[in-house]
Amino acid sequence: MSTTIQFPISRIEGHAKVVVNLDHGKVLNARFLAQEYRGFEQFLKGMPAEQMPVIVPRVCGVCSTSHHLAAVEALEDAYDVKPPPVAEKIRHLMMVGQLVQNQATSLFFFTLPDKLQATSIFGADESASKDVLGSISKKAMAVRKIGTELIAIAGGQFIHPVKAVVGGVVSGIDKAAAKEMRKKIKAAIPIACSLFDEYWQLSQKMTKAVGDWEGDDPFYYMIAVDKNDPTRPVDHVTMQKSDGSETVTFRPEDFRENLQFHQVQDSFSAKTSFNDLPIRANSLARMNLIESMGTPIANGYLERFRVQFGSPAHQILLFDLCRGIELINGLERADRLLAENLMDGEMSVPVEPRDGFGYGLVEAPRGPLIHHYQIENGLIVNVEFVIPTVHNNFSIERALTTMAKRFVHEDRIDMGLDSAMGWVVRAFDPCIACATH
Amino acid sequence: MQFAVLQLTGCAGCEVSLLNAGDELDLAKLAYMPLVVSTHDVPEVDILLVTGGIRTDEDLFKLREAASKVKKIVAVGTCAISGGVAGLGDRHDIRKHFLATTHQGRVPRMLPKCKPIDTEAEVDIYLPGCPPVPDLYVKLLNDPGSLKTTSIVCKECGRRKPKDLRPTKLTESIHKDEDPNVCLVKQGQLCVGTSTRNGCGAPCPKAGFPCVGCRGPSNNLIEKDANAWFESLANVFRRMTDIDPEEINEALRSPHLALFLFQFSDYTETELESRPKEKVL
Ligand code: SF4
Ligand code: SF4
Ligand code: SF4
Repeated sequence: MSTTIQFPISRIEGHAKVVVNLDHGKVLNARFLAQEYRGFEQFLKGMPAEQMPVIVPRVCGVCSTSHHLAAVEALEDAYDVKPPPVAEKIRHLMMVGQLVQNQATSLFFFTLPDKLQATSIFGADESASKDVLGSISKKAMAVRKIGTELIAIAGGQFIHPVKAVVGGVVSGIDKAAAKEMRKKIKAAIPIACSLFDEYWQLSQKMTKAVGDWEGDDPFYYMIAVDKNDPTRPVDHVTMQKSDGSETVTFRPEDFRENLQFHQVQDSFSAKTSFNDLPIRANSLARMNLIESMGTPIANGYLERFRVQFGSPAHQILLFDLCRGIELINGLERADRLLAENLMDGEMSVPVEPRDGFGYGLVEAPRGPLIHHYQIENGLIVNVEFVIPTVHNNFSIERALTTMAKRFVHEDRIDMGLDSAMGWVVRAFDPCIACATH
Repeated sequence: MQFAVLQLTGCAGCEVSLLNAGDELDLAKLAYMPLVVSTHDVPEVDILLVTGGIRTDEDLFKLREAASKVKKIVAVGTCAISGGVAGLGDRHDIRKHFLATTHQGRVPRMLPKCKPIDTEAEVDIYLPGCPPVPDLYVKLLNDPGSLKTTSIVCKECGRRKPKDLRPTKLTESIHKDEDPNVCLVKQGQLCVGTSTRNGCGAPCPKAGFPCVGCRGPSNNLIEKDANAWFESLANVFRRMTDIDPEEINEALRSPHLALFLFQFSDYTETELESRPKEKVL
């Protein structure tokens, strides 16, 4: 007899649920189903190509900057232009702001409540101590806000940025504003570190409770960042097998030959595989494949991480800790970038729009993101978004299945299955609005 | 005063903006918002903020259920107010194809059209923006009386509009801010700040990018139909530039333009009552 158990999942971006399928009390599999859809790939058809950088950030209010920049880069690829160096730096800063914003949100607002057995970080529920949460949430909000302020200073708007345009950026960053921002960052770094240390302690307990994830390989890690600066995107995607035995790279325009896309009927999100194996993108993939963070404090954390968990490390809940290392790295990076002259020099180059194809690749907080546009008569005729959460979907379901088996026995279901399902999903920090677009 | 946020089909930008207002709001009063709080049902609260459009049967069901439990409803963001980006699938030239390819037995079911929330629930206050900036949330929740948006984005932008500067054509597709002190319309760009309600602080034109009107029509226009909005903008360009009115007309009426999506996206196909201006913040 087959039955299902369903869990709505909160504290993630967007609407999704987990369904565990059982047969005679035995776990068959667990599914992760996306529950919303807007249809960007369809309604963008017929729109003027140069409108993309304004419209596509609205795919997602959490990682809008990634879409903004992927769009601009895809058009630059189609028109064959290269932005001037200052514009590149300002865009880099936008991405760093995005990383800080996203990692802080995921770390403190999405997953920290799990570690404190609270429903939220704000202390609305009586179960957790209000005072403790009150002070944590104040600090967490302050750190997170640095991220949105960086997006605002570099991108014009704090959520759906506007400053990147085809050929460059519309304006630079005022020196006084940059100085002011650096002050705030310097003040935020120790706060972020102390929050993260606390987080590290708390997750240690949970990592033990969850155990490791034997039976979960092989699979591929996927990144598109510089090995000595994981905030900086590169022009190719790297795939590495979990045991390190194989490494493949490909350029964004070759994604169809390298990735397999699986449409499913019960979810609005597709799933991707590589060599028919699951993929893991996001923070842990980056920490496993890079050499260094390129900034001192974050490097210290990375070292500590590698000593404690090994390298590569595969436990699911380590995604969370890697996000913390990246948060600190983002703050340090932003400080460095803002020390440069971002006000003088050419902000954009002349552009001659033309028809054809374009591919844009950026490393979004959740992994490599590709936009592909086909342009005819200046209008979009075809669009494809290759989304990091979609790469992770198989891995999420595999981890959920492993986890469900620990809780579901033929004669009983152990307490805590629903929270455990939440932990697993949140470790991957999926973004449903992006995944379904 | 407890409040809750119901997230329908949107991008979560409206929620992220609310989080940014966190240091001035008492978020311990936030009883429900799935993005950051894991409570599964909307509790009985004084104020319910609704973000996103009604795109699926589940959106509809959730809204109806929540509406019965709360005292006041605020429609937050372009998606909730007019369908916004979530409603773009309704563009007539793609709608059939859109529905045909998306249904395929998936749940929740897509509704035939994406609807603004006031088609299904009584809305007490509208807070437009894509997303509304944090400061607007602070005022809304802490001191709604202080929220009087009576002017246009230009007031907050502050770029100069020199009389003798009269562009003769719209700039080519790529935006470029030639002079950060001069109004973008005076640089031949299609900025709609002159017809858009203020309250956002004009971040876009300040950064050098034309306002695309995400805050919606200004009070002078809000109770009128879309034609009044087009005419008002056409007039602005006639007064401020020497660009051929035909060129402006064509550019403004292109239903594919981003700016069109934020202003009046609901007026294109749906017959909607215009919103009384005292309800719009
Ligand atoms: S109004 Fe804008 S920010 Fe808010 S949900 Fe819709 S697209 Fe996102
Ligand atoms: S740039 Fe736009 S918002 Fe600023 S003054 Fe000109 S029309 Fe108004
Ligand atoms: S300037 Fe215009 S587009 Fe930008 S936030 Fe304000 S109303 Fe929205």
